[in-house]
Amino acid sequence: MVLVKAGGQRTLVLAEPSRDPAVLLADLSAAEPSVRRAAARDLAPHPEAAMALCDRLEVEASPSVRAVLLTSLIHLQSPTVAMRLASLLRSDDVPLRNAAIEALQEMPDAVAPHLRDLLADEDSDVRIFAVNILGALRHGQAPQWLTDVVRSDPHINVCAAAVDGLAEIGGPETLIDLEALRRRYEGNPFMEFAIDAAMRRIRGH
Amino acid sequence: MAALFATRQKDPSPAMTDEEYAKFCEFFYRKTGIQFQAGKKYFVDRRVADRIEKTCSESFRDYFTMVRFQVTGEELQFLVNAMTVNETYFFREDYQFDALIGGILPEVARSKRRNEPIRIWSIPCSSGEEPYSIAISILERWSQADSWNIEISASDIDSKILHEARTGLFGERSVSRVSAQLRSKYFLPRPDGSFQICDELRESIDFSLVNVVNPLHTHRFRDIDVIFCRNLLIYFDDVGRRETVEMFFDALSPGGFVCLGHSESMSRMSSIFLPRKFGETIVYQKPLSAE
Repeated sequence: MVLVKAGGQRTLVLAEPSRDPAVLLADLSAAEPSVRRAAARDLAPHPEAAMALCDRLEVEASPSVRAVLLTSLIHLQSPTVAMRLASLLRSDDVPLRNAAIEALQEMPDAVAPHLRDLLADEDSDVRIFAVNILGALRHGQAPQWLTDVVRSDPHINVCAAAVDGLAEIGGPETLIDLEALRRRYEGNPFMEFAIDAAMRRIRGH
Repeated sequence: MAALFATRQKDPSPAMTDEEYAKFCEFFYRKTGIQFQAGKKYFVDRRVADRIEKTCSESFRDYFTMVRFQVTGEELQFLVNAMTVNETYFFREDYQFDALIGGILPEVARSKRRNEPIRIWSIPCSSGEEPYSIAISILERWSQADSWNIEISASDIDSKILHEARTGLFGERSVSRVSAQLRSKYFLPRPDGSFQICDELRESIDFSLVNVVNPLHTHRFRDIDVIFCRNLLIYFDDVGRRETVEMFFDALSPGGFVCLGHSESMSRMSSIFLPRKFGETIVYQKPLSAE
């Protein structure tokens, strides 16, 4: 018989005492990634651990531990946590930066207070990443913030990212600003194509 | 149309106000990871009303208090059973069984020592069609099957449906994609038209009650080689999906695989798995060097 019933040697734990947060904080620096993952996961109900999780995220090399750190930070979301994650938008570590963007998209109310500053950042790459956050942010103001980018941002790549975002979440009220942007970049085939595609999508064609 | 109209006229008033509905959904989400949107209020309301009646509660408020504070958790389990959807059949999305036999298991076998079992976990297993389909596929189609000990675990959050899975009685619709040859080999037809799965299969699968968002339930699942988790994550929000996928990461052996439903993808959930294409399907692999 090739099929063997599983579970014989496994024991079901009916209750497990909560682990001491001090031990969990120490475990965040353990050598074994599985220990760090378990600590990061078990710290999710502890708001006082949020900054320690942010600190660990900045130096953590293991992708699987990073993923759990970010999930716990989503649970512990606050404007302070969002600010720490937003600082990772300047990181040269692309997977970490993208993971931070995805996590920030999961905390609309926490990241909202920082978006104005991010959209006004002097680094156009940071503004693009802020636009990327907006494109999937479940926040009522997101379309308006993207429209403001289209109206005022001087950088073509930031505007292009905002056009992509508006194609997803923009309504008919944004068409007038997209038309104005198209006039601004008249003769630029890429922008004309992207804006036309976004307007078609918003109109439902 | 007349019948539909009559049904609508008889509809009782809602069990919950909008505010109560929001509170209930928040509670249910925290306990199970399953999220109901505003559009599901009718579905939820009817089932809660039924539980209010069956428990002789005087109001939603009384019922909700009982569910939250009952020491045994029995009523919460009844509620979960009422809220979960258990529609399935044998060899559903069979291209994934093709991938299991043709690609996944041979690859798992290459990196295993002979004395180690190959472990497969079906979650949610519903009424058992999926784990039994996995077992039959392996016995019938995998040429190396005799060389390995294979453990199949099967879990669901719904205790009632688990009982059905353990019992192994299936209707005609459920076995409609099972060939006559396989029916005669693995099922016993019953006078009422249903089919009883053979005892050897029934007794070889380890069924267990598992809530995927409860670490006390999931932490005993370790060193799993293949997880079938089809059409569960669609009921979760983004955070619930992330947590579930991270739990799978801990449960899997390095190089282990996750098979999701055809409309599900890891792309928005996790970058820690590698997408792999086997024939017609994409599955997700924990990297061999993962940590």
